[in-house]
Amino acid sequence: MAKTIMVVDDSASLRQMVGIALRGAGYDVIEGSDGRDALGKLDGRKVHLIVSDVNMPNMDGIAFVKAVKAHPGYKFTPVVMLTTENQEARMLEGRNAGAKAWIVKPFKPPELLDAVSRLVLP
Amino acid sequence: MNEFDQARQTFFDESRDMLREIEDALLVLESGGGDAETLNGLFRAAHTIKGSAGLFGYEDVVAFTHEVETVLDRLRAGELAFGEELAGLMLACADHVSSLLAELESGNTGETADRDRGTGLVTRLRSLYATPEATTRAASPAVEASSDAPASGPCRWRIDVRFGADVFRNGMDPLSFIRYLGTRGELVRVVTRLFDVPPADRFDAETCHLALDILVHTTASREELEKVFDFVRDDCTLVLTRVTEGAPSVETTGTGAVPTEGGTEPVVAPEVVNVAMTRQKEQRAEEARFIRVQADKLDELISLVGELVIAGAGATLVARQIRHMGMLEATQSISDLVEEIRNSALQLRMVQIGDTFARFRRVVRDVSHDLGKEIELEIRGADTELDKSVVEKIADPLMHLVRNAMDHGIETGDERAAAGKPRAGHLRLNAYHDSGSIVIEVQDDGRGLDRARILRKAVERGIVPENTELPEDEVFGLIFMPGFSTAETVTNLSGRGVGMDVVKRNIESLRGTVHVASTPGAGTKMAIRLPLTLAIIDGFLVTVGRSSYVIPLDMVVECIELPADIPAHAQHFNLRGEVLPFLRMRDVFQVEDSVAGHESVVVVRNGTSRAGLVVDRLLGELQAVIKPLGRIFRDLQGIGGSTILGSGEVALILDVPALIARATRNSTLAGPATAGIPRSPGRLLTEIPSSLERE
Repeated sequence: MAKTIMVVDDSASLRQMVGIALRGAGYDVIEGSDGRDALGKLDGRKVHLIVSDVNMPNMDGIAFVKAVKAHPGYKFTPVVMLTTENQEARMLEGRNAGAKAWIVKPFKPPELLDAVSRLVLP
Repeated sequence: MNEFDQARQTFFDESRDMLREIEDALLVLESGGGDAETLNGLFRAAHTIKGSAGLFGYEDVVAFTHEVETVLDRLRAGELAFGEELAGLMLACADHVSSLLAELESGNTGETADRDRGTGLVTRLRSLYATPEATTRAASPAVEASSDAPASGPCRWRIDVRFGADVFRNGMDPLSFIRYLGTRGELVRVVTRLFDVPPADRFDAETCHLALDILVHTTASREELEKVFDFVRDDCTLVLTRVTEGAPSVETTGTGAVPTEGGTEPVVAPEVVNVAMTRQKEQRAEEARFIRVQADKLDELISLVGELVIAGAGATLVARQIRHMGMLEATQSISDLVEEIRNSALQLRMVQIGDTFARFRRVVRDVSHDLGKEIELEIRGADTELDKSVVEKIADPLMHLVRNAMDHGIETGDERAAAGKPRAGHLRLNAYHDSGSIVIEVQDDGRGLDRARILRKAVERGIVPENTELPEDEVFGLIFMPGFSTAETVTNLSGRGVGMDVVKRNIESLRGTVHVASTPGAGTKMAIRLPLTLAIIDGFLVTVGRSSYVIPLDMVVECIELPADIPAHAQHFNLRGEVLPFLRMRDVFQVEDSVAGHESVVVVRNGTSRAGLVVDRLLGELQAVIKPLGRIFRDLQGIGGSTILGSGEVALILDVPALIARATRNSTLAGPATAGIPRSPGRLLTEIPSSLERE
C-alpha cells in the first residue's frame, strides 16, 4: 500500500504542485490548509510523513509540530518543515519542537522528492 | 486542462489574492493602523508567492520577491520603520510582481521595460538593507555549494552511524536511511549493532540503541553521503571512511555527541490541543460551505440552463397546440422547476462587489498623491451581489468615474478650505439593489458640475445649437457626449475627453444607464443602474405586425388598452391624470399592414421615467435567454438583443431606456422638432443623448 504523506501549507497552488509530484512518485497525499486544518485531519488514519510550512495563519507550523508531537497517535510521525533561508531562528524553534528535517523554500519538485525519500520510500 | 495547468492557474489566482492582501495591508499600515499580525500577514503573503513561484520554476518572481521579503523581514524585526516612502516602494513592488505574473500567465515574457523597472526597484530595496553580505547573497537563494570531491568513478565507503536516543521519538526510521542509501549506490554490507541496552525492567521501547555499520559502493561524494543523514545529524554520530583498494585512508567526519537532554521546548498541554481541535472543527464546518469552481464551468451550466429554458418553452408550445391537459400540466411543472434551476444557477455566479470596490483604495491613494489632494474613500454596500460577468465589465467605467471625480470634482485642499469645507475631500462608493437592478454610485463632495460651462462648451463644440434651453439633467448628460471635455488642464488621469462617452457606451452595452446629479459647491453623484444578470431575463412577449418582441419584465409597470379617442399623431396621453409620452411601435418598426383588433399600451419605466409602448397583441410572460446581436447591429438603437422562442422563432428584445428617451423627447420637443428625427429603423435616435432620465 502506498505511503501517505500529509502536506500542510496555506498556499493551494503549492499543495497542488507538491501533490502532483508526490502522487507521481507513488505516495498518497492528504492536504491541510494550515496547522488547525491539518490537526483535524489527523483523525486516526495512518500518516507516514508530514510536510509542513512554518508561516501559516490560524496555527503556524511550530505550534502544529508541537501538537503533533503531543498527539499519542502521531507522535512518531516524522515532520519535514518547509523553511526559508532567512528564518534560522524559526528553524531552530521547529527543531526544538520536534521537526528534525527541513526543505528550504523555494524548492523544486525533485528536491522535495529527494528529501522525502530519505524518510519514507513510496 | 491537465493537472499541471490547473495548479498553475491556482497559482496565478492565489498570487492575485495575495497581492491584493499585500496591498490592503500596506494601505492599512500606511494610514497608521494595523498591528504585528498585519505585518505578519504581509510577510506570509510575500512568502507564499515566493514559495509557490519557486515550485513552478518562475525564477524572476522568486528573485524579486526574495528582495521584498528581505525588506519585510527587517521591518518585522523593527530594523526599518514604516513610512510613506516605504509604502510607496512596496506598492510599486507589488505592482511589479503583478505584471511579472501577468506576463507569465499570458505567455509573453521578457518585456524590457519590466526588467528595467525590476532592476530599479531592486536597487531601491537593497539600499534599505545594504550590507555587502546581503547584496551578494540575495540574488541566488537556496543554492547549495557543490561538492569539492571529484567524481572519480565509484568507490567504497564505510559508514559508521550510531543513532541518538531520541531518533525514534523524532519520527525518524533508521531503516529509511538504509533504503535511501540503497538508491544512491549498492549496499555491500549492513551490520546492525545494539549498544547501551539497559536491563529488561528499565528498557524503554521508544529509546533508540541502534548503530549501523554500512559498506556501500557508490559514485556519490562525501558531502552527498553526509547529506543522507542530514535529518539525524544533530542526533547521531557519523563516521565516513573511504575504502580504497590499497591502504585505506581514514577520513572521519564526526558530528556532535549524542544529545542527552530531552526536548528543550515543553510539549503542548493536551487541553491546548483539544481547544485547537474544537476550533478546527468549527472552521472546517465554515470552510465546507465554500468550494472553488472554475468560472467557465458555471458559464457552461448557465448556457445549458438557457438552452433548457428554450427547449422547455418548445414543449409547452406543443402541449398547447395539441391541447392535452395532462401534457400541459407536466410541461408547466417542468417549466416551474426550470425557472428555479435558472435562478439557482444565476445565483451561483453572483459575487459581491466589495472586491471591486476594495481595489479603489489603492487607486484613490495613488491618484490623490499624484494630484496633491487629500481624499478619503468611503465604501458602502460592499456585500451587494451581482453577476460576475457584470462585475468584470463594470470595473473600467467605474475606474474612470472615480478618477474623474478625484481629478475634476474634488478641489485642492486650499480651495476647499477657502470654500469653508474640510480640507480632505470625500469620495463615496455605494452599491445597493433597487427593483431588479443594482445601483452603483460614485459620489464626491467636490465643486459640482458647472451647468453654464457645460452648456457653453457644448455649444462651442457644436454638440447643441446656440440658445438651446435644456433641463438640468440633460445638460449634465452632455458630458457623456463624444469629444466633450471641460477640463482646463489636461492631466494624465482624465481630461482628454475620450473617457466619458466610452463610459456611457460601456454601461449601455450592459443594458445599464448612468445618471448624473450635481449641486454646485456640494458635489456630484453618478449613479449607474445595471441589470443583475446578463444571461437570462424574465420578459414580456408582445407582437407588432407579424414579429414578436420581448420587453424586460422588470421594466413593465402595467398594460392597458389604447384609448380609442387618441388622435393619430399624438405623442402623449392622459393616464389617470399624468402625462404619459408614448411611441407607436408600428411607426418605430415601420410596419405597414393594418391592425387587427384593439392595440394595447405597455407602460414601461426606467428608474423614474415612464413611457407607453403601443403594440398589437400581448402574449404574456416568458423567460428570455439573451443572445447578443452581431457587430453590424451594434449601433441599432431601440433593440437591446435577441432571444429564441419555444417555436424556434427569433424575438428581438426592446431597449426600453432608449425607447423611453425617444418617447420623452418626441413629446417635449413636439411639433417641428419631431419631423427632424430620422425615421430609418437603423438609426432611431442619434443627435441627442438617448437615455437621460428625468426626476
